[in-house]
Amino acid sequence: MASAWLITRFIDPQAAFAFIPDPSSAPNPALGEPFDMAGVRLTHRHGHCTFHTIVEEYALDDPILHRIARIVDEADTIQEAPVEPAAIGVDWICRGLRMICQDDAEALQHGYRLFESLYTYLQSEA
Amino acid sequence: MRHWVLLHYRVPPTPSAGRVAVWRKLKQLGALLVHDSVWVLPDTPWTTEQLQWLAAEIAERHGDAFVWQAQGMMPGQDAALQGRFLAASEEEYRAIGQDLHQDGADRMALAKRYQQAHRRDYFGCPLGPQIYEALIRAKED
Repeated sequence: MASAWLITRFIDPQAAFAFIPDPSSAPNPALGEPFDMAGVRLTHRHGHCTFHTIVEEYALDDPILHRIARIVDEADTIQEAPVEPAAIGVDWICRGLRMICQDDAEALQHGYRLFESLYTYLQSEA
Repeated sequence: MRHWVLLHYRVPPTPSAGRVAVWRKLKQLGALLVHDSVWVLPDTPWTTEQLQWLAAEIAERHGDAFVWQAQGMMPGQDAALQGRFLAASEEEYRAIGQDLHQDGADRMALAKRYQQAHRRDYFGCPLGPQIYEALIRAKED
């Protein structure tokens, strides 16, 4: 959800997303570039989440994005020294969004608002 | 019948930092090591995803990992495993409760320990809510 927002907002506003039900099946390259699954270019690296990888891969130097990358790292994966208190809240709200939304597209739309809000707030705090 | 998610893996002995990092993550997830060979967690979307990512990390560290979903096929097996998870959570909560009653207890640090313990309390250890209440009510004086 966070990565989709990042891509749409900072890399490709026209990007479209599809969800693969079984992550152990091989992605079909004709469908587009796979991400957030093991063994692809845009995935977890060195214990960091896909969002973090995208920020690095596209050399996005906005410090707010680096901050959100850390929050998403802590929300999505086990980190030894969690320093972002918002992380678990973001994680729970994202999980809840998937439960209350009719489909993936609707969940993504709400996810975009969530991460846009987070981005705007962190910018105001900086 | 309960579903479990299993990991077994090998990482090169050096650098030892890699081995330690993997082991620490498994401990942080609250995974149980069964017979010094297989790490076990109850199967939830969260635990499965965490073990999948950990397996990917092990591959990055030039190791080799397998992640499986499994069902116990022996009577009593699920209950025994669940009991081990509950016992691990109870021990963790109990230690927090004991430290909370020490003079000059650091409630902030204990609250953090509680949050970590709670995150890996997969079966709802009854001591958890008691420690939660005790942390809120404890006064520093």
